[in-house]
Amino acid sequence: MATQNTSMSSLEADVLVIGGGSTGAGVARDAALRGFSTILVERRDLTDGTTGRFHGLLHSGGRYAVKDPSAARECIAENRILRVTAADCVEDTGGMFVSTPWDDPEYGDLFLDGCRATGVPAEEISVAEALHREPRVNPDIRRAFLVPDAALDPWKLVWGCVRSAEEHGARILPYHNVLDLEVDGDRVVGAHVRSEQSGEEFRIRARVVINAAGAWAGQIAKLAGCTVNVRAGMGLMIAMNHRLVHMCVNRCKRPSDGDILLPLRTACVIGTTDVFVPDPDQTEIRQADIDLLLDEGEKLVPGFRQARALHAWAGVRPLFEDKAEVADTRDVTRSHALLDHSSREGIAGFLTITGGKTTTFRLMAEAAVDAACQQLGGPRACRTAEVPLAGSENHAMYRIGHRLAVREPVPQAEEIICECELVTRGRLEETIRQRDTTSLDDIRRLLRLGMGPCQGGFCIYRATGILHEGGHVDSAAANQTLLEFLDERWKGLHPILHGDQLRQARLDDWIFQGILDVEHLPG
Amino acid sequence: MNYDTVVIGAGLAGLTAALRLTEQGQRVLVVARGVGATHLSPATLDVLGYVGNTRVESPAQSVASLVASTPDHPYGHVSEAQRGAALAWFVTRAATALGYMGSVEENLLLPTALGVPKPAAFAPRTMAGGDLRAGGRFVFVGFKGFKDFHPTLIAGNVARAGLAAPIAARALELEPPASGRGDLSGRVLAGRFDTEQLGDWLVSALEGRVDPDERIGVPAVLGLRSGDAAWQTLEQRLERTVFEIPTLPPSIPGIRLFNALTSALRAGGARVVLGVRAAGARVEDGRIEAVAVTNATGTVSHPTRSVVLASGGFASGGIELDSFGVTRETVFDLPLAGVPDTDHVHFEPGYFDSQPLARAGVPTDDLLRPVGGGGRPVYPNLHAAGATLGGAVPWKEKSGTGISVITGYAAAEAILRPAPVPMSESAR
Amino acid sequence: MNYLIRDSLDHCVKCTICETYCPVSQVTPLFPGPKYIGPQAERYRGAGPSPDSSVDYCSGCGICTQVCPQDVKIAEINSRARAKLWEKRGIPLRNQMIARPTVIGRLGTPVAPIANWALHNRAVRRMVQRVVGVHRDAPMPSFAGRTFQRRSRTHHGPAGAPAVVYFHGCGTNYYEPILGEMVVAVLEHNGFRVVVPPQDCCGLPLQSNGNFPAARTYVRRLVGRLVPYAREGLPIVANSTSCGLMLKREANEILGIEDDDLKVVSESMYDLCEFLLRLHDRGALRTDFASLPLTVPYHAPCQQRGHGIGKPALDLLALVPDLTMIELDADCCGIAGTYGLKKEKYEISMAVGKRLFDDITASGSDTAACDSETCRWQIAHGTGVTAVHPVELLYRAYGLGGRRQPGPVPAAHRATPVNG
Repeated sequence: MATQNTSMSSLEADVLVIGGGSTGAGVARDAALRGFSTILVERRDLTDGTTGRFHGLLHSGGRYAVKDPSAARECIAENRILRVTAADCVEDTGGMFVSTPWDDPEYGDLFLDGCRATGVPAEEISVAEALHREPRVNPDIRRAFLVPDAALDPWKLVWGCVRSAEEHGARILPYHNVLDLEVDGDRVVGAHVRSEQSGEEFRIRARVVINAAGAWAGQIAKLAGCTVNVRAGMGLMIAMNHRLVHMCVNRCKRPSDGDILLPLRTACVIGTTDVFVPDPDQTEIRQADIDLLLDEGEKLVPGFRQARALHAWAGVRPLFEDKAEVADTRDVTRSHALLDHSSREGIAGFLTITGGKTTTFRLMAEAAVDAACQQLGGPRACRTAEVPLAGSENHAMYRIGHRLAVREPVPQAEEIICECELVTRGRLEETIRQRDTTSLDDIRRLLRLGMGPCQGGFCIYRATGILHEGGHVDSAAANQTLLEFLDERWKGLHPILHGDQLRQARLDDWIFQGILDVEHLPG
Repeated sequence: MNYDTVVIGAGLAGLTAALRLTEQGQRVLVVARGVGATHLSPATLDVLGYVGNTRVESPAQSVASLVASTPDHPYGHVSEAQRGAALAWFVTRAATALGYMGSVEENLLLPTALGVPKPAAFAPRTMAGGDLRAGGRFVFVGFKGFKDFHPTLIAGNVARAGLAAPIAARALELEPPASGRGDLSGRVLAGRFDTEQLGDWLVSALEGRVDPDERIGVPAVLGLRSGDAAWQTLEQRLERTVFEIPTLPPSIPGIRLFNALTSALRAGGARVVLGVRAAGARVEDGRIEAVAVTNATGTVSHPTRSVVLASGGFASGGIELDSFGVTRETVFDLPLAGVPDTDHVHFEPGYFDSQPLARAGVPTDDLLRPVGGGGRPVYPNLHAAGATLGGAVPWKEKSGTGISVITGYAAAEAILRPAPVPMSESAR
Repeated sequence: MNYLIRDSLDHCVKCTICETYCPVSQVTPLFPGPKYIGPQAERYRGAGPSPDSSVDYCSGCGICTQVCPQDVKIAEINSRARAKLWEKRGIPLRNQMIARPTVIGRLGTPVAPIANWALHNRAVRRMVQRVVGVHRDAPMPSFAGRTFQRRSRTHHGPAGAPAVVYFHGCGTNYYEPILGEMVVAVLEHNGFRVVVPPQDCCGLPLQSNGNFPAARTYVRRLVGRLVPYAREGLPIVANSTSCGLMLKREANEILGIEDDDLKVVSESMYDLCEFLLRLHDRGALRTDFASLPLTVPYHAPCQQRGHGIGKPALDLLALVPDLTMIELDADCCGIAGTYGLKKEKYEISMAVGKRLFDDITASGSDTAACDSETCRWQIAHGTGVTAVHPVELLYRAYGLGGRRQPGPVPAAHRATPVNG
């Protein structure tokens, strides 16, 4: 807890949102749309926490229909809303639950009952039809059900919210770390933050502070002397080089590890695991978990282990549990929790919204801002269920062939910098200018530069050259950002490096070290 | 068709071995899945550039001490005399079209496409003019629409290379005549130098803009079929030193080298078949009697007296690691060295850390024959060359093409003159 | 099998080698190259139709797959993407027409003189270009008037001799029956009885124009004719190297046909020169060649190289005294089956073939050798030389035409310029 320090500069707002994931971005948008002046701070880049590391499943609710009916109901309601309001972030892949030979076919009946009871549309189809839709799925499946799962692009979602919020006057501050919360007597009055890029420290004064820090919410709450028991459940994901499936394919059984395989833009993702970790910033990928995911993948898609594993990463999901110890983090509800600290600990002006999942982010944001309204002069209508995000106004859902189609009729009319992900020079230069960033890693998240099969083998040299030519960095800084990119991408490569991806990595070694000799760049 | 030798792999090692054998009168068949790494690598002859983090000035000297301290290095299986003979043969007989310049006694320092001075023993004459050791003034020239060359960054880094002789560098970006393409590949650009006399345009674009003492560095795209005609035109008409700088694949100089070697092979009566896969051997009495090659319909057996395995390392699929952590040599299932003993391969978390499998490859005797337990050759008439051999980290030590040429030549020599070399004569 | 082709995109390490060899992307920006259209774009193709029309500019030459060091089935991926594209758009009449050489053959043969006059008449060709979309200058062969099938009905080989089945293809049947007769003569000279079953088109033009269902029908019908012989263990020889490759590999890899009958036929299928060279390897090829003092440039068609058998034509012709074959190294003549006939692709096709044309012209020879009929017609069109199948040189060297010296070339093989 910090005492007042009047010598620092300060910003002011009605609402200060801590956390730049889907929840925080959603809260900032909702608050701004309701006319509150809003500031959002995020310690790293937007989506750096859980949101940027999940598999992108826009739940139909089928996964929770048996075990967690309230979560299922929320999911289907939000699924319908997001398909319209965030259309550009959603690809209508559809979803399928299948009973593999390792799954009890009778669970399918429980599944159907659960879906019916929670309002999740589910339809059983023949195995033949399932295999016709998804020729790579295990031909020995016994049952199959269609549900309206979809694939959500979390980056587009968050930036869509953030753009929306900015259009309504919000200030979004990534790379700003909350050092402390300012408490004046029995209320939180603001935060003491530091810009990670400039080192400048300043205060933000706010009438209400909303803690949307996800798996880190407990750490933030502690700064105000409040207790929030958020447990970090680490989940491993492996991206496979191409879409082995075009729909979100789930195992029809009690939810457990490695039971989802779904498209994620040009790749597909197998996930996930759930391992309690004491520190959400310490996630180590274990070989046993890699093997588990590959084996589960093999059950869903025979030949999975021969397919090319592109990248592995871990995210931490925030699991809020108000009671004491819980044995298996999977038993904790995936519904969200809104904590009003004025009633819990007598600290006003401070709310925590935690738990939940990205699918229900809008609902969580609505709950949080509704609660904030009580401390901001009275209720104001929430419009996020109706107003489309910037970019989704025409309600046209994303199509995978989009980047390919826009290149026609002359596919090489302009330079394509990242060929795997079809990022043009114009788009790259525009992004560098607009986002005012010189980190290739940030650019990677924004544009998917370097996220394709060659993992930057060709495009990183080009992008570095363009950054330098544009005068954004000097040669020393250009070299540095290239080397950092290489180190950063290696983190996601080395846990799954085998087969085709090892071949690629070796070719990339030849390019970076053998041809370009990056190891001996001048400082 | 009966062949004297079947060479598996059409990379630099395979083509070197094949050409040496063909030149000495053998009937040679080269089979390969596809074109090899010649098309990807800069075509300089990199004998040895670094030992650890120390840059090598004299490959001749440093190789000798390297081989003494790491006898498993591929160079350790080839005598010093033969190493020299291989390079001399390659430069003066095999690849004359490229006009290699340099010497095994001292490395050139040529700027990479990032502006880093990189050691090379020999470079094609179109590239040799970029030697940074003498210092001086440079202008690097890029082409609008060609994204694989960034002269401003090259100039920025070259100027800070920290070499003994001072260097000044600047950059120029030129716009070639319109071609209807906004995205020029190196291959297309090189083709334009061949067919559209782009060299004339470049001369007029540079005339009057380059000081007499400035050397001109351009991307290595100055023509493919026309050899170094465009480069010669530039030097003659501009009266300046012009040098090509290799960049990301495709490597136009590498393609020139491939074309030169395969033409020579064809002229010598060798047969090169691409798009097929070597898939094992028919063995009788412990010798390989035929190589099985899979093509459009099935498998054909090619009877042969000797075999050279030059299928490359991990990058070309000559060696592979599966998802269970098992490493395999993919044609003959030969024993491998340099493979960790653990269940899975654990890579180190830093990209530049020393990584497992870097030195993995097929161990051989001094006739470059793959060996099994006890150091005995697996087959008396099977030899290996190039990246298939273990014991080196060529992309770090800058020795890839050197190893390919030297071991390719040595494998051919071992077939041509199979008398065992007494231990005392192989310099270790 | 369907997914094994698509899955091979996983092997792509973006090395660009395929792009350096693609003859089409070298001459036109309308085709961005095999890496782009193949393994790269395939990641963007969902379950539905292909969003990229530039895939149609792939000529299907298959060089990309041959040079790929990582076993990516690039040409096959492109082929399939093109089929999906046309499935969505509907195949235009022109493509349907030129994809059915049997239909054209049956229509043109009975009225050969008129048909030939029309196909080589400038005014008619201009109209055809406007209405149908076949370029007015695209090389067209001449109908022979009497098909090879009909001629073979009245020909009986040596009874009791070991049999070999002859898959002659549409080109030989309708346009070059004399070539077919030469093939039979060469095989009989080597002690075989040549069986010529009734047969139809292999479906390759349908496949390359994206009509997979029709192509599969054709393949199955043809396989039905050939399989009884294959099951008896008889070899099948094809002088059209592209048709031979269709049955050896493409019908399975591109069309996805897994029938056992096709497999049996594939395994019995030989390119003609491949078959003759194997005879030679066993010491069973007659080498009673007379001197043939010619210097002839040889172009191995893209699809011949796709067999992965080397260049048996060169090895065979090396046996003929005084005959010097020049091995050309240009990659593609440009015709790519029916690709170069199309008005929007003709210029591209001629630009692709230019290097080959120049190399042939530079050789100074008035004859060139090439194993594929459409390539021969393109070469003749682009250079004016006479283009022959390698077996014709063997035929002449054997003296089977009754002459021991090279004589005037039969009309069917001459380049027929557009006149009138």
